Amino acid sequence: MRILCWPACLLLAALALTGGCSSQRTETSSLPAAKRIILLTNGNSPFWDTARAGLDAADDDLQLERDGFEAVLEVNDGTPQGQIDKLKQFASQRDIVAVGVSVIDAANVAVADEMKKLQDKGVHVVTIDSDVDRDKLRDARFAFIGTDNLAGGIELGTAARHLRPEGGQYVTFVGRTGAQNAIERVSGFKQGAGDKFEALDNMADDLDRTRARDNVRNAISNHRGLNVLVGIWSYNAPAIVDVVRQLNRRSDFTIVAFDAEPVAIKDMEAGFIDAMVVQNPFEMGYQGVRLMKALAQDDKATIAEMLPNSEGDGGDIYDTGLKVVVPDEDSPLQADLFGEKTEFLQLGDFKNWLAKYGLQGS
Amino acid sequence: MSPLRPKAFPLGWLARSEAGLGLAVVAVVLLTLLFDQQRTYYYLPELSALDVLRHTSMLGIFALGAAIVIISGGIDLSAGSVIAFSGTICATLMVFLAPEAMQKAEPLGAGVIILAVGGTLVVGFLIGSLHAWLITVIGLPPFIATLATLVGLRSLARAVIENVTLHAFGARTTQIQIFDQQFRALTTSVWLRAALFLMLAVAAWVLLSRTVVGRHLYALGGNEEATRLSGIRTDRLKWLAYALSAMLSSIAGIFYIGDQSVADPQTLARGYELNAIAAAVVGGCSLRGGIGTIPGTVLGCLFLRVVIDGIAKIIKTGADVYE
Repeated sequence: MRILCWPACLLLAALALTGGCSSQRTETSSLPAAKRIILLTNGNSPFWDTARAGLDAADDDLQLERDGFEAVLEVNDGTPQGQIDKLKQFASQRDIVAVGVSVIDAANVAVADEMKKLQDKGVHVVTIDSDVDRDKLRDARFAFIGTDNLAGGIELGTAARHLRPEGGQYVTFVGRTGAQNAIERVSGFKQGAGDKFEALDNMADDLDRTRARDNVRNAISNHRGLNVLVGIWSYNAPAIVDVVRQLNRRSDFTIVAFDAEPVAIKDMEAGFIDAMVVQNPFEMGYQGVRLMKALAQDDKATIAEMLPNSEGDGGDIYDTGLKVVVPDEDSPLQADLFGEKTEFLQLGDFKNWLAKYGLQGS
Repeated sequence: MSPLRPKAFPLGWLARSEAGLGLAVVAVVLLTLLFDQQRTYYYLPELSALDVLRHTSMLGIFALGAAIVIISGGIDLSAGSVIAFSGTICATLMVFLAPEAMQKAEPLGAGVIILAVGGTLVVGFLIGSLHAWLITVIGLPPFIATLATLVGLRSLARAVIENVTLHAFGARTTQIQIFDQQFRALTTSVWLRAALFLMLAVAAWVLLSRTVVGRHLYALGGNEEATRLSGIRTDRLKWLAYALSAMLSSIAGIFYIGDQSVADPQTLARGYELNAIAAAVVGGCSLRGGIGTIPGTVLGCLFLRVVIDGIAKIIKTGADVYE
């Protein structure tokens, strides 16, 4: 059986080498007794890489190491069970002082219960990017940091309404329909698009990118009147564009989407996306760490600065802002069509903004 | 060698031939035609056929590997993770070979793509060898050996990506974006993947049905002890089966990252190992080993796909719920 030994040993050596590399990094990054501030994602996407850049920037700017803290991004596997398991794991570790959660399902009581248990143990909990159901589970976290997703949905709907004044039929594509950000964006899109637009379907892919493409193919095949394709989560835009490109049917659809993955930016450059509503994950990561550190240090001044009206209605929300991005000056969309708080950018300006922070997407 | 075909299937004569499965495929297509209010298969036959072909080919490529392992009396639970790991290795090699082009979304060139694909296949071969080593030298049951890599490879792929992007780009990311249009055009082409699937299926069929090694694989699956006592080197046969299975999954991994334009090991091909096993078993492979055919597996893939596609066509709104 000697013949079997060499390739297996080669692979084992490679695995050990890789493991060694990663453990070396972990050792150096978790120096003595640093208290951890954790950002737990809902799934995996370049969106979170940008949030990580914000987290790292906050780590430097706010001098976390000096104050005995360390900011860490933990990536969930895209399932509620994965998020519950991670939160349970956090509860068993004494070095964690604050957790920011991008809640995978707004109404998931099990996730909210784990967040409450963390709070009971003295760990500060906030939500980032996607909140819990604010009517029923608000007490599961201290505050929400992220986009006003309803407003974002309205802006995207407004863009669709002006791109297609005669109205249309649309399908929304999303990872999980139960996520609070998805619920609010879809609802906002309906409001912004107005009565001339009819919702045909809201299709979930459970974060499977192949399934995301299948959903677009099925929607196009099943609904003859479909003429507006709406990407709700970041990877939905590239999925929509891939299918439309393969079918060579660009002229049949208006394509609008949330977020700007690196591939989506290329797609807009190539003329395949009409408008993107872009969040600011960099700011979510940065401000999330800032608030969690302030909570851990009981820094009331910073908390009051970030949430000046924390007792009032909606005062527990820190809005990280929105951008509407259009391909170029020939777009029928103009800045005055959108809300005052929304930044309106052409793609070139948006790319300059990304370059300023060393980002590939947002 | 009569035990090549299933005997215990309850549908009589249909079970003794792939014709039964072929008829089932036809029946599902007819039912879809009947219940699909828009008659998509009738009005858009080419588009519908391409959709079915696209998915059947991809599933088929790694289901062939599952079938070979099952026929040889083993089981490979690692296909999904091997796909994710191989896709990651392919993207990682691209980053190693052309870091600037990958970061700036510039064309990589044919040389980089060929080396990345070649390196990925080598890694697939090594993973298959690791499985064979764990099973034949360490003595782990195939279920446990491949379960270990099912669990471990995906996490390892994450670690690889984070380390490689940190060193190449100066910032850790959890996935690698693939921009190269040449690579994407090759991997998204339905005809290329269908042709490759056909070639691989024919090669696997020839191996299993027309060669001595193939007969030995059936014998191994039927009765390992008797095969060993007959003087056949069963360890080498297992090595062949698991290496082929892992390499076929690696090929699928290369196609998937091109198709999705990203290597994301956390979400790529989750649960696909069960699709591969299901396709092989529906196609007539017995989980006890020694029984099954490649044409049956191909039809098994086709059957699963037309059922999924048919449901999407019939349900229309909310079809994603039933996938």
